[in-house]
Amino acid sequence: MSFSLHGVRRSFDGRAGRVAALDGVSLDVAPGERLVVLGPSGAGKTTLFGVLNTTLRPTEGTVRFEGRDVSRLSQRALRATRRRIGTVFQQPRLVPSLTARQNALLGRVGHWSFANAVRAWVRPSPEDLERVDAALGAVGLLHRAAARGDELSGGEQQRVAIARVLVQEPTAVLADEPFSSLDPSLRESMSELLGVAAAGRTLVAVMHDVDFALRHFPRVVGLAAGRVLFDVPAAQVTPEMLAALYPREAPERRQVPEREWADAFACVR
Amino acid sequence: MPSPACAEERTTPGPAASTRRSTNIPGLREAEPGRAAPAARALLRRRRVQLLLVGAFLAWSIAASDVSPGALVAPEALHGLGRLLRGMVPPDVSLGFLGVVAVAVGRTLAIGIAGTALAVLLAVPLGILATPRLFRPGALAAGRGPWAVVLFAAHLAARATLRVFRAVPDLLWALLFVVAVGLGPRAGALALGVSYAGVLGRVFADLLEDVEPSAAEALVASGGRRASLVLFALVPQALPGLVSYGLYSLECAIRSASVLGFVGAGGIGQEIQLSMRLFEYRQVSTLLLALLGLMLAGEAASRLLRRATRSVRVTGRPPLTGRGRKLVTLATLVAVVLSFRATELLGSADDGLLARMGRFAAQLFPPDLSLSFLAALREPLLQTLAVAGAGTLLGMVLAAALAPLASAGLMLRRPGAPGRPGVLDLLARLLHVTARSSLAVLRAIPELLWVLLCIVAVGFGPFAGVLALGLHTAGVLGRLWAEALDEAPADPVEVLEAAGASAPVWSLWGAWPQARPLVASYGLLRWEFNLRVSALVGFLGGGGLGLRLYNAIQLGFYDQVSTTVLLILGLVMLSDAVSDAVRRSWLAPATLRRDTARPVDSSLALQAGGLAA
Repeated sequence: MSFSLHGVRRSFDGRAGRVAALDGVSLDVAPGERLVVLGPSGAGKTTLFGVLNTTLRPTEGTVRFEGRDVSRLSQRALRATRRRIGTVFQQPRLVPSLTARQNALLGRVGHWSFANAVRAWVRPSPEDLERVDAALGAVGLLHRAAARGDELSGGEQQRVAIARVLVQEPTAVLADEPFSSLDPSLRESMSELLGVAAAGRTLVAVMHDVDFALRHFPRVVGLAAGRVLFDVPAAQVTPEMLAALYPREAPERRQVPEREWADAFACVR
Repeated sequence: MPSPACAEERTTPGPAASTRRSTNIPGLREAEPGRAAPAARALLRRRRVQLLLVGAFLAWSIAASDVSPGALVAPEALHGLGRLLRGMVPPDVSLGFLGVVAVAVGRTLAIGIAGTALAVLLAVPLGILATPRLFRPGALAAGRGPWAVVLFAAHLAARATLRVFRAVPDLLWALLFVVAVGLGPRAGALALGVSYAGVLGRVFADLLEDVEPSAAEALVASGGRRASLVLFALVPQALPGLVSYGLYSLECAIRSASVLGFVGAGGIGQEIQLSMRLFEYRQVSTLLLALLGLMLAGEAASRLLRRATRSVRVTGRPPLTGRGRKLVTLATLVAVVLSFRATELLGSADDGLLARMGRFAAQLFPPDLSLSFLAALREPLLQTLAVAGAGTLLGMVLAAALAPLASAGLMLRRPGAPGRPGVLDLLARLLHVTARSSLAVLRAIPELLWVLLCIVAVGFGPFAGVLALGLHTAGVLGRLWAEALDEAPADPVEVLEAAGASAPVWSLWGAWPQARPLVASYGLLRWEFNLRVSALVGFLGGGGLGLRLYNAIQLGFYDQVSTTVLLILGLVMLSDAVSDAVRRSWLAPATLRRDTARPVDSSLALQAGGLAA
């Protein structure tokens, strides 16, 4: 198994007492599988995401990645695990003062010792540079390689973020709402790029856009109130399932304000 | 005087405000074919020339200030230091001496409070006069005829006065007032009053200039006179801003007050100086501990205040009402009156204070502009420049070594972070605590005290000045730089963490590129500030212009004193201009605080940010 979650619970201390963001989630993801997690806001998608990329420690339950129990790992082994998991965030999160090329190079940070990191600051190794150029070529941004992160458009920044994952050469890719900050016209081409980045790798995506998700992912997991509501092949998803997942409001209507927010953020950045 | 806590007022430029300049990071920069525009290349070339100039200046500074690291480890230096340190334990905690310490601490507080109050009192009339909107020809309600010309002249004079007030370092003001009115806290309070009035007056003028004009325009339209315009339309809107800004500078003023004593202006500094002269090292260590406590308490109090009022604009009205407001007002008034009495500005028998000050001022004129004296000033002037350059460099080197260790984000494991805790975490925490406390000690001891300590080790001369400036600067910059690293926006850093970067790696590639503009800006501000101090460390034996000043004052050559003061004034104004130019071409304009005063000339920015005050 690539990811294997068993009875994962994660609670946070909020103003209203302890809140369980994840309430007993079990999930097995086979190597090379493509899976999308759907769910309304507050369903625990982002928490699940943090647990999967091992930056968030579950309160209870076990998380295994490629057979190893993550909670037992030393920090060093944990870093080795993280570099095998590539992450595309909702926002590109580039370092604004570095160039596109340097930002793509940052996919290698998990592979570097501090000495390597210093050396890369002065002169990156030829292998790393080769990887970077190949990745920037794959996302079609070689001509913008010398531009600063904050000089790129939103779409270009997200492409650099994907190039960064390519450079990382992970075995699994996690994507948290990767296109929600993008123009609808860009989404299809970006999803193709994400497909390229995840080729031959496990891909777990968190998404709001139900139609898009059903079209692109063979396996769909519905998450509501921190529990898995359904976990079925895309072909078997029924309107009743979706209605249970998004009570009262239709999924298309839900996603509108959410996207506007994300767009507003994209401008601010 | 040097107050890192006050410097927190400087906001961290967010990612949006970070500088937009073409990349100048080595590696990865090899130009895309045909991408580098000629303009960009010219810019790069200019930068390279500027860098070369800075490098040459620093190299010259080191050469010209007799930097000799060997002197530090020479047997006599170690012997002297050993004797000093042995002499300092145990601290003198006899009841009699603790009483002396308590009085000194109280006086220090009084000097700070009285100085700030005096500054506010001076700032109101000068600030009004310095407001362009009121007195510029053709301005709001400006009159016509000869009267308007006279007022315009007064306006220009007020602006020039404020500029001189803030450009002359507060220590130099203290020195002059000690000569004019005698040793003691009165000179200290007057010095702080004048020096801070320069800052507060300019702030007040800016506030008046920015006040919402509709009320004023209505008054003008109804035929109001200028006096009523000022009284009813403008001042009530700007005064709360001035008062809250004054409260903010109080903390900085108390820090300054503890240092002014080194030139005889009363307070704890004077006691330290005295005990040092008497070789009473046990007393020195008690006083040092008191000073450390005073400074740390001040820093903590201001941090608390800042955290509590973070969302409140500084220029805004404090959210206090009813009885609370009355109580605070009453307490402030009582504290001010008590402080005025303690510093003998009020209530003491009239001993012709103003007359004495007038006599001294008259003696300052005309300045000695004879060629022979000017030529004699050349060498100390160069020495002052060199000590400031080499001292800042030393401080930056030490701070660069300590700041990463003092960064909490880099050294401390977040509670609840995944991964088994290891022995390394404990070691890192230990290193972190050590670095932070070393920085606290380095910056709690003022430059002027470091000079006295360094003289014991390496003897009189510019090298002692370099060491003193360097050690104190390291303490201030180390903390500011560590905070700059910790306040770097977290989003990109988290990406690197998720990709498996270790803390040192993400600090280098995630936090540092984002913190860089702020780090450079702090370094530049410290250089400016050190130039002011290095002109004075000589007073205690650190070489440079201060020594000249000391001699001239001792011998009563007041015409030479005024020449030297003018020279220092010119030096400060020149450094303002230089660093403004550097800031414009290298750094973001947004590195200066926006929500208090506009970033006016840099000596104001410097003091407003508290790095000088």
